[in-house]
Amino acid sequence: MRRRAGLVLLAFAVFFAALSPLLRWYAFPRLAKVPPNQYQEVVLEAKPATLLDYTTLKAKEVEKVTIVQTLKGNVEESEKIERSAGRDVVVWDALSYIQGPDGKMVSEIPERYIFDAHTQAPVNATGEMVDGDPVRRTGIEFKWPFLTEKRDYEYFDAQSRTTAPIHYKGTRTFRGLEVYYFEQTIPWTKVPMPKKMPIEGVTAEQITQTGITRWYTTKRMFWVDPVTGAPVNGEEIHREELRNAKKMGMSEDTVTAFSGHVKMREDYIVDTVGLVKSQRVLVLLLTSYLPWGFLGLGIGLLALALWLEARSRTPREPTSA
Amino acid sequence: MRALVAAAIGLAAALALVFTISAVGSPPGETSPKPLLTTVPGPKQ
Repeated sequence: MRRRAGLVLLAFAVFFAALSPLLRWYAFPRLAKVPPNQYQEVVLEAKPATLLDYTTLKAKEVEKVTIVQTLKGNVEESEKIERSAGRDVVVWDALSYIQGPDGKMVSEIPERYIFDAHTQAPVNATGEMVDGDPVRRTGIEFKWPFLTEKRDYEYFDAQSRTTAPIHYKGTRTFRGLEVYYFEQTIPWTKVPMPKKMPIEGVTAEQITQTGITRWYTTKRMFWVDPVTGAPVNGEEIHREELRNAKKMGMSEDTVTAFSGHVKMREDYIVDTVGLVKSQRVLVLLLTSYLPWGFLGLGIGLLALALWLEARSRTPREPTSA
Repeated sequence: MRALVAAAIGLAAALALVFTISAVGSPPGETSPKPLLTTVPGPKQ
C-alpha cells in the first residue's frame, strides 16, 4: 500500500516539477499576448501652451491644449494579416486629436500600427501608415514587450516617420509600482505638414507650395511597468516651428506653431495604473508565482515519495504474540 | 521500473496539459464599435 502511494506521489512530483519550466518557457511566450480587440483612450494636456493663432498668424500663450489619443484594435484586419504572416498580429488604428482652448481642432493625425501580439515587434504589412503616408516601422510604439528589459529600445517617432533609440534611464517608483523610465530626444527635424489643417479651405499642399516648412523637436518620457510592458505615465516636451514663414505673410521668418509640456491627465493616470496593476498579476502568475509554486510542490512531493519508499523497505519489528 | 513508469506518466500529463492550454489560446473578440475620439472625454469614472 505504501509503495503504491509512493509511486502516485512520484508521478505527481514529476508532473508539478515538469510544469514549472514548461509554464515559464513554453506556455508563457505563447499565451501572453496583446488582445486584438483592445480599445483604449488617453487624454493628455499641455498647461499652459504656446499655439499659433492662424487668424493673426502670431504665436500666443493659451491656457490649455488637449490631446486625445485613441487606440482601437481592428480584428478583421489583424485576421487578414495573420493569414499571410503566419503569426498572431495586432492592428491598432490610432488617432491623435489635438484641441485648442476654444474647443476647435488644431490637428488630427491618424495612424495604423501593426505588430506581433506576443513580442510587440512591428510587422510590416500593407496599410501601415501615419497621416495617410505609408511607413515601415522598425521600432516599437505605444507599448513595450512583456518582461521589458533594462536596456535601450528602438522607438518609432510618428512625426518624423523614423525610428530612433529610446534610452533606459533607470528604475523609479511610480504610484507604488516599480517602473522603468525611458527617454528619447528627437532633435530639430523637418516634418511633413498634417493633412488636416485648422483653417478651413487650406490644405497642407497649398502651405507646402509657399515654401513654408514645419520643424519639430521633442523630449519623450515614459514610465513603463516592466512586467506587462505597458506605460503607466507619459510626458512630452514638444516644440513645433514654421520656418520660411514670411512667405505666408507672417511678420517673422520662424514662428512657433506649438510649444508645451504635455502630460497625462490625472484621471487617466489613475485608471492606467489600476489596469496595469490587475494585468501584471496574470503575467506574474505564469512567469513567477505558478512556476516557483509548482517547483516547490514537486520537490515536496518527491521528498514525501522517497520517505514512503524508505519506510516501506524498513524491516518491521517482530510483534510479540 | 515501476518508479520510471510513474515518472513518465507524470511527465506526459504535464506535457499534455501545457500543450493543450497553449494550443487553445483565447478568442480574438470583435472590433469595438466605439469611434476614434474627436472630442475630449469627461472625467474617467
